[in-house]
Amino acid sequence: MLAAQIFAVVIFVAMFILIVLDKIERHYVTLGCGALTLVVVFGICMRSGTAVWNTLAIKGFATKEFWYQVTESESKGINWATIVFIAGMMVMVEGMAKAGFFRWLCMRIAFLVKCKTIPIFITFMVMSAVLSMFIDSITVIMFLAAVTVELAQLLKFNPIPMILSEIFCANLGGSATMCGDPPNIIVGTSMGFSFFDFLMNTGAIAGICLVFCIIFFYFAFRKELVDKNAAPVDMSKFPAPSEAITNKKDFVISSIIFGIAVVLLVTHSMTHLTVASIGTFIAVITLIANAKDAVELLKKVDYKTLLFFIGLFIVVCGLEETGILKYIADFISDISGGNIMLMVAIILWLSAIASAFVDNIPFAATMVPIIQSLAPIVVASGADPNTLAWALSIGTDIGGSATPIGASANVVGTSVAAKNGYPISWGRYCAKLAPATVIVLALSTVYIFVRYL
Amino acid sequence: MAQLIISVGREFGSGGRVIAEELAKRFNIQLYDRHLITEIANKTGMSPEEIEKLNEAPNSRLMSRRVRGFSNSIEDNIAEMQFDFIQKRAESGESFVVVGRCSETKLKQFPGLVSLFILGDMDAKIKRVMEIYEMNEHDAKSFIEKKDKKRKRYHNYHVGLHWGDSRLYDLSINSSRLGIEKTIDYLEQYIKARAAALENK
Repeated sequence: MLAAQIFAVVIFVAMFILIVLDKIERHYVTLGCGALTLVVVFGICMRSGTAVWNTLAIKGFATKEFWYQVTESESKGINWATIVFIAGMMVMVEGMAKAGFFRWLCMRIAFLVKCKTIPIFITFMVMSAVLSMFIDSITVIMFLAAVTVELAQLLKFNPIPMILSEIFCANLGGSATMCGDPPNIIVGTSMGFSFFDFLMNTGAIAGICLVFCIIFFYFAFRKELVDKNAAPVDMSKFPAPSEAITNKKDFVISSIIFGIAVVLLVTHSMTHLTVASIGTFIAVITLIANAKDAVELLKKVDYKTLLFFIGLFIVVCGLEETGILKYIADFISDISGGNIMLMVAIILWLSAIASAFVDNIPFAATMVPIIQSLAPIVVASGADPNTLAWALSIGTDIGGSATPIGASANVVGTSVAAKNGYPISWGRYCAKLAPATVIVLALSTVYIFVRYL
Repeated sequence: MAQLIISVGREFGSGGRVIAEELAKRFNIQLYDRHLITEIANKTGMSPEEIEKLNEAPNSRLMSRRVRGFSNSIEDNIAEMQFDFIQKRAESGESFVVVGRCSETKLKQFPGLVSLFILGDMDAKIKRVMEIYEMNEHDAKSFIEKKDKKRKRYHNYHVGLHWGDSRLYDLSINSSRLGIEKTIDYLEQYIKARAAALENK
């Protein structure tokens, strides 16, 4: 077992280093490391076909619980529910983008607030958070940042403060729901949570923090956004929101499908449909509705990310099956001396600091089995058994906002800004977003202490 | 006249930039080198000096991340803006000379592309750099090595192929053998022959 443990750790560390170095595409890294885990750790060292079979978890597809789940249960091995759900949502989002939904929504809201800078600033923050609750933050920021630049050029304001605020709110909104950010999907599907569980817990935290953020960013950026000498806005020169719609029929259909997805997600604890069924259903109806362009939509799905997930889950299973994650859990338990407050603080802040510099997905996938191991200690103390899960979600989702490389939305937002002539350096980014992240994390820590402990 | 795009990759101190300038004059076509910097400076509102520092520079590996083709690195975004610029110029049918910018690979699909790589003996490069930058021999050598290392990382990161590998270019030439003037003469003949072959196609 010792050799298996050593190899599992070496493969995991090598995977992390290679992801950070970014010399090889990250899906090749995780798939390569996943293959090594299966062959070296499970095959050669452990000689355990069961470990390989459990990790691949293919039999899960054939079970009723994968698609329809009356009682909540935890899953192990490759988290196929996460992968199927993300794939389904990718197909839906491609359909929406093709129809011009996101651009239309941004322009519509800008018109509703009469194209005035500060109201746009505030409504775009809220829109960023709300959309990110259901759609991946990369897509949200890709469209929002592009429209922000366009409006900035028409209204003559600096788009950087607005883009930075949108990025922060996208990450915050993502923390509010089970499908908002990949770490939440991993936590939710691994631990058997529902959409509503997240909404009532991390969602409540995100809601409070969003109010704080709007106030914080308003005071932090108002001088850069308000131009006292600016001429009155002539909205007739602006492109009408309807111009964003590429095809009215597709637009209506994609809006309806999005509405169905939201309803299915919000009600899935009542309908007992799993996120895997919802993802599959949404993808199928999107493809049927766009039958002519179905192949094109499928081609646009980000398969690299899906493959990245598969490899990642295998490597993390290597750590789990060899007992390494149990050691880490014991270590966290020891240093916290059984003090739940300290344990929550360690999980939340450690997740946040790690997520500020490395991809939060591998981190969350690694931490889930650890918090599952720690759960009995939490229960024994009389605290809410899911407290550590909420601390992990908030830490990984919010921590990523602190630096330009902490989360995908940050990279996309800063890149869209730079390509349009507004480069954002590390200093410019961190000056306002790092303090905002620390304050939001502190607020969340206090909230968790007061509510759950 | 059919479109002619002359891509000039070069080792630092080999005289590649001077060769590119002279070729642009002889073929009476636009040179894209410094122009690309002012173009990006105008677009970004940054000063040409700031762009110069980030021009043909690799990103900082630990400080940058790439997601679905997007990068937070200013160096990467400046590089991509330059790639887009030369791509659009090429698509417009314009003939031009472009220095560096991975152009031998980025513009590979254009039949009018003639890709050159100018290298030089280290002694000759040191001598040249000592004269131009008024440096001593030791500093000149370090400067060349630093610049070439930067160009190599930039090139290899953006196109995934080895900078200076002769298989990437139509012609790799050591400017120290004939000297810069005669190298230009030789290259002019080669490019004329290529242009003629293109016309006859």
